[in-house]
Amino acid sequence: MNLYEFEGKALFEKYGIKIPKGVVIRRGDNVDSHFESLNSFDVVVKAQVLSGKRGKNNAIRFCSGKDEIKEAVEDLFSMEVRGQYVASVRIEEKLSILSEHYVSITYDTNAKQPVLIYSEEGGMDIEDVDESKIYKCLLDISNEKLELKDADFLGESLQHIFQSLWNCFLKEDCRVVEINPLVKTLENAWVAADAKIALDDDAFFRHEDWETFEPRTMMGRQPTDREIAVQEIDKGEKYYQGTAGKYIEFDGDVALILNGGGASIANMDALMDVGLQAANYTEYSGNPPREKVYQLAKIVLSKPGLRGLWMCGVVANFTNMKETFLGIIDALDEVQPRYPIVVRRDGPESAEAFALVEECKKRNSLNMQVFGKETSMTESARILAEAIHKQ
Amino acid sequence: MLSYGTQVVGGVRPGKAGEMVEGRPVFNSVADAKAELGPIDITTIYVPPFAAKEAFLEAIESDIPLINTIVERIPIKDTAYCLAAAKERGIRIIGPSSLGFIAPGIGRIGVVGGPKELADQIFQPGSIGIISRSGGMTNEVSWQIRKAGMGQSTAVHVGGDLLMGTTYADLLEMFEQDIQTRAVVIYGEHGGSYEFEIVNMILQKRFTKPLAIYIGGKFTKVLPEGINIGHAGAIVARGQGAEEKSAALASVGVMIAQTYEDLVQLVQPYA
Repeated sequence: MNLYEFEGKALFEKYGIKIPKGVVIRRGDNVDSHFESLNSFDVVVKAQVLSGKRGKNNAIRFCSGKDEIKEAVEDLFSMEVRGQYVASVRIEEKLSILSEHYVSITYDTNAKQPVLIYSEEGGMDIEDVDESKIYKCLLDISNEKLELKDADFLGESLQHIFQSLWNCFLKEDCRVVEINPLVKTLENAWVAADAKIALDDDAFFRHEDWETFEPRTMMGRQPTDREIAVQEIDKGEKYYQGTAGKYIEFDGDVALILNGGGASIANMDALMDVGLQAANYTEYSGNPPREKVYQLAKIVLSKPGLRGLWMCGVVANFTNMKETFLGIIDALDEVQPRYPIVVRRDGPESAEAFALVEECKKRNSLNMQVFGKETSMTESARILAEAIHKQ
Repeated sequence: MLSYGTQVVGGVRPGKAGEMVEGRPVFNSVADAKAELGPIDITTIYVPPFAAKEAFLEAIESDIPLINTIVERIPIKDTAYCLAAAKERGIRIIGPSSLGFIAPGIGRIGVVGGPKELADQIFQPGSIGIISRSGGMTNEVSWQIRKAGMGQSTAVHVGGDLLMGTTYADLLEMFEQDIQTRAVVIYGEHGGSYEFEIVNMILQKRFTKPLAIYIGGKFTKVLPEGINIGHAGAIVARGQGAEEKSAALASVGVMIAQTYEDLVQLVQPYA
């Protein structure tokens, strides 16, 4: 889960990293009563979105005076930043900047361990900073004390900040922590002027406090009703959690029920190659029970304006075809879609599953074609495209 | 595993020592199992994610040389910790989130291929090595290979996590040494930078056999920045998308498949 700047800053503060004094304004809040507590009209007003590059996209405004602030807040709420919904706005004191630096900790996939990255040249264009001006040090995951190699040039106060950042990274189960810019003020203090944190969703079980974060999607917009509904189905019984929990809405008109993370990615590519547009990305993996598949399928089929349904997965290793297709059949019996449906799947108990699907097709007069492993997944995408174009 | 011919010597479950499962003894700890049974070559771990770290460390402390785990959604911090501990003792981990691996006709670890009847339809001994980030695609690609009349030397599901215990490069080194393997196919995904290790290997002539690769995730270029679909490892990184990887690999002679089915035609001449 990616955090908004204000959430990230709250975590930094918890670990002793200084942040600018500020307040968070949500839609509908009374602006006056909030920023009065700042005791300053010389402020920065920042849209809270999950995307980077806010500065270049006019999502950060420097204001002085009450009217300017109110106008900026209103304006930010009326815009989208790189396609993203502005959930809230943070108003904070303007810093007196001596220099802007960059620091982050994340996982280096090749070394398979965390890496700290620092540059004296932080700010907006960190991507363009020359490699020679970037300091990198691999970190020992089993050592809570930060030990940096060749780091004398950093100075004590900076190393102290990095230790706090490392504490935050470890204790909060982060995948990424980034401060850009890390500001050195004219008063010689280090202040985190921005915060980018990605928490590790897989560590949710040991962070009950994460429940309190407001809902968000990776699409940078508010989750849709159907997306929220799917998250709800996945809660339920612990053992099956994560087996039916993916539903992301897109603008297209072909409903998808895919299987397995890897195959679903290949199939999204295949769908694009045959010129069809996904209405959603949905997959179930593992061995979900009938009820879960039914609820998931019903939500997928409930999106208005669908022109086709593609249910496509690999020759499964252990997903039970009969149990999962019973869930699909329950949904098809109820919804009885009139648009073309193409199924491609195989695996344990597939013969029984296909017989049941055929019966369902007959009793509902569905425009449906069912394929096993003799037809490849990509081929079934072509068949669906033909069926849709024939309509 | 037993039905596929794997020599399973015992199981571990705390508090269940003395019981028998499928005629094999159960022990309270890995150390107990080792004391009783002698050296153990491989262990495969099936526990809930919150218990994975401890289970790993137990196997590592007992010096089991090869550890596989199917466990998904292990916190990345725990994975990194275990990988570091394993590396220190020269232990190989395949996974996390790995369904296992199969040497057709010889044995398998984990559940690759599913029930024996199904596995026998998909796998037959042959000359193609298979590496996949996805469990389902391990089966699917193996099936396409078989359907075209070829067989597999070994098929390995390396798992879809951001941190992989055993990478493509690690396995390619083994396939290079393996006489049975004449060519290798990889089902890769966008995100991470493991494919770039292959480029270096080929340049240094550490891998010289024909190699075909499919990298899934071309569609992600039409998604908003930062979206994360499917496997956790598939986080699109700048300059490391499916297209950039394909270009780098093609430049050192790796055959690039446009669809996963194309992998078959690409390696067929070498089988």
